[in-house]
Amino acid sequence: MDKSPRSPKTPTKFNYEKDDSSFWEKFSTLGRKKKIKEVQEVQEEGKYAIDSPGMPNAPEIPPEDYNLEDNEQRSIIQPQCLNLPQVRDLLQLLIDWINDELVEERIIVTNIEQDLYDGQVLHKLWEKLTGNKLNVLEVTQSEEGQKQKLSVVLNAVNHTLGFHHTMPKWTVESVHSKNIVAILHLLVALVRHFRAPIRLPENVSVTVVVVKKSGTKLTAEKFEEQITTTYDDVGMKCERDAFDTLFDHAPEKLQVVKKSLVTFVNKHLNKLNFEVVDLSTDFRDGVYLCLLMGLLGGFFVPLHEFHLTPKDQDQMIHNVAFSFDLMQDVGLAKPKARPEDIVNADMKSTLRCLYNLFTKYRNIA
Amino acid sequence: MEDIFYWCRENNTIQVRLWLDDTENDFNKGDDHGFSALHWSAKEGHTKLVEMLLARGARVNATNMGEDIPLHLAAAHGHIDVVLMLIKAKSDINAQNEHGNTPLHYACFWGYQHIAEELVNHGALVSLANKDGDTPLDKAKSLLAKRLHDLAIESGQELKKISIKDNQWLGLKTRSRDATLSRYKGINIEDLKLHTKVSISPSGETWRGRWQNNDVIAKILTIREITPRVSRDFNEEFPKLRIFSHPNILPLIGACNSQKHLVTISQYMPRGSLYDLLHSAAGIVVDTAQAVRFALDIAKGMAYLHSLERIIPEFFLNSFHVMIDEDLTARINMGDCKFSFQERGRIYQPAWMSPETLQRKRADRNWEACDMWSFSIVVWELMTREIPFVDLSPMECGMRIATEGLRVQIPPGASAHLSKLIKICMNEEAGKRPRFDMVIPILEKMGAKF
Repeated sequence: MDKSPRSPKTPTKFNYEKDDSSFWEKFSTLGRKKKIKEVQEVQEEGKYAIDSPGMPNAPEIPPEDYNLEDNEQRSIIQPQCLNLPQVRDLLQLLIDWINDELVEERIIVTNIEQDLYDGQVLHKLWEKLTGNKLNVLEVTQSEEGQKQKLSVVLNAVNHTLGFHHTMPKWTVESVHSKNIVAILHLLVALVRHFRAPIRLPENVSVTVVVVKKSGTKLTAEKFEEQITTTYDDVGMKCERDAFDTLFDHAPEKLQVVKKSLVTFVNKHLNKLNFEVVDLSTDFRDGVYLCLLMGLLGGFFVPLHEFHLTPKDQDQMIHNVAFSFDLMQDVGLAKPKARPEDIVNADMKSTLRCLYNLFTKYRNIA
Repeated sequence: MEDIFYWCRENNTIQVRLWLDDTENDFNKGDDHGFSALHWSAKEGHTKLVEMLLARGARVNATNMGEDIPLHLAAAHGHIDVVLMLIKAKSDINAQNEHGNTPLHYACFWGYQHIAEELVNHGALVSLANKDGDTPLDKAKSLLAKRLHDLAIESGQELKKISIKDNQWLGLKTRSRDATLSRYKGINIEDLKLHTKVSISPSGETWRGRWQNNDVIAKILTIREITPRVSRDFNEEFPKLRIFSHPNILPLIGACNSQKHLVTISQYMPRGSLYDLLHSAAGIVVDTAQAVRFALDIAKGMAYLHSLERIIPEFFLNSFHVMIDEDLTARINMGDCKFSFQERGRIYQPAWMSPETLQRKRADRNWEACDMWSFSIVVWELMTREIPFVDLSPMECGMRIATEGLRVQIPPGASAHLSKLIKICMNEEAGKRPRFDMVIPILEKMGAKF
């Protein structure tokens, strides 16, 4: 099973509380305990000093940053928004995705604003996603150089994303000034364009405060800025086929197709006392696909080969990828979809996959 | 030349033992004249060697180019101990060689009275004519002839001359295998002449063919893609299946590893598998006595497999994977082992498998005990002559065995001994199932009753 290498999960903060409750801790005196804590703190600080980005995050915004020119306006994200669960999910998902893509470059992103503003990671990400090379300096130190590089990179990105006449929601300035809203828009656009194998949380929006100075008056307005919308296709783009036509032009026929596929899979799954109700979600954990392959192909699938009750995304992806392997072993064409597309409940990918089974096995009892 | 035949002639027990311990050595092979190790040992009268070879299951009725079986040679050279051992090992007492002579002909001609008497006592016919029309009595000197004549009358033999029938040697004889069979392992695909397609299964296509003047079965494996890694694994794994050293194991003779195909070569078995024999109209009656003999053969083969280092291509015991030789010996077919890259994640015969085989990786279960479970299903099959869970598809069958406790049912009126054996071997706790070497004496005891 050749799965693309997955990067280790983005490091999360080390959990000291758990450490405290360890068995040995109980034996140590309080004094020792304190010392251990001190050592750990120093270690942590040292680690941070090494790992932290070159430009230290100033604790206070320097005055020139909030000094507005006349009539200038500036938008700032409402900091509370970043703690909303769906926003946090989105950030984590994007970070994991970037890390998965850049695992071969040995790049690990931990913080979206801090790691993306200088164009370095964006440069690598664009090269990885398009397979092209971009002729810019690898490393730049000066702010001027950074901006120059970022502008070249963003130019290329905008070109790839097809911004010729319309303006993207990000600029060199906004990205470089670590405006998280701009960076999020940029990343979401990339995810959508390249059909990254992730499912974005839908309809995520953040509150943005726009501050405007007119004369001596500062006015602040709040906006809801929508970052993601709803998507009916998260699967990989591929050559148009009958399913695209069905989706676009004949939704009523689509219902018929769905219905006959449900009948087909249930005819077989019922033998094991399973029943599919919703095509789009019941297949995403891959379990039914594995069982169905056994039922249709005339073999038993040993239960250690897949997760009968998958606990996380990775186990689901394993299941679907394994069922894809079985499909190819029995002579079916390699599914066009990625395992992730099925796990992300992409309707078209799931339907294509089941339809393939249906055409080969429709006549078996 | 120092080879197994030389060591047998020279009575070099140590060398012979070492040679026998190497599983790649086939002790049933013959030399240029078709003399097997047992032929030489019998001819020279080396009782130790004969004992050792018989214990390992050397073919007692193998013939050389002159159609002699070892008993001919022992009788002709006056080795009474060897003659008795061979008789005990069920030698064909009236075997006729190319001249139509039986062992008794030779014993009479050379005047070995003691041997001749033993042969007649064990059923050797005094009036079986050779190709020249001479009976053993004609060959014996007058005194011996008189004695044998009386013995024959005592045991109720017809003294009318029995003329030779040329088709008579169809009986138990099998010629020593061509020595070349075990000599090669890498076989050039171009040397294979495949003529008849026998079957297509998910694991590959099976063909009948000729190779080096032998009837062989070639299996062309179905592999999605022969990557360099698959090719390397194949080369590493197939030699482990060349187990020539046990009569109840059917070795893989060799393999072709060409870029397009992976092919395994085994000896052709006209009777097919145990499954064919039991469940198709093969014309062979499998009564309880024969069932016990088959079970004993299988147990011996499995015990031997378990005595070896664990073999990497996995063998799943079921009636498809046991072949039946011409003389109705059951043999574990190494050609049915699964290579590490073969049929991954697909089990086509779950009905014979233990619940834990269906659920756990090989490393996480007691695979010997799993084989014992499969053995009990085969015994059940021999007893009932039914296919286990015939009405269930593999997926349903496997799920129900693994998760719902589906088990074979012992029909009322079945042999009490066999039923008990099945129950012991199918213990739900893997650790409580017996080993094959513990089952062998039980089966031997059962077999002695028939």
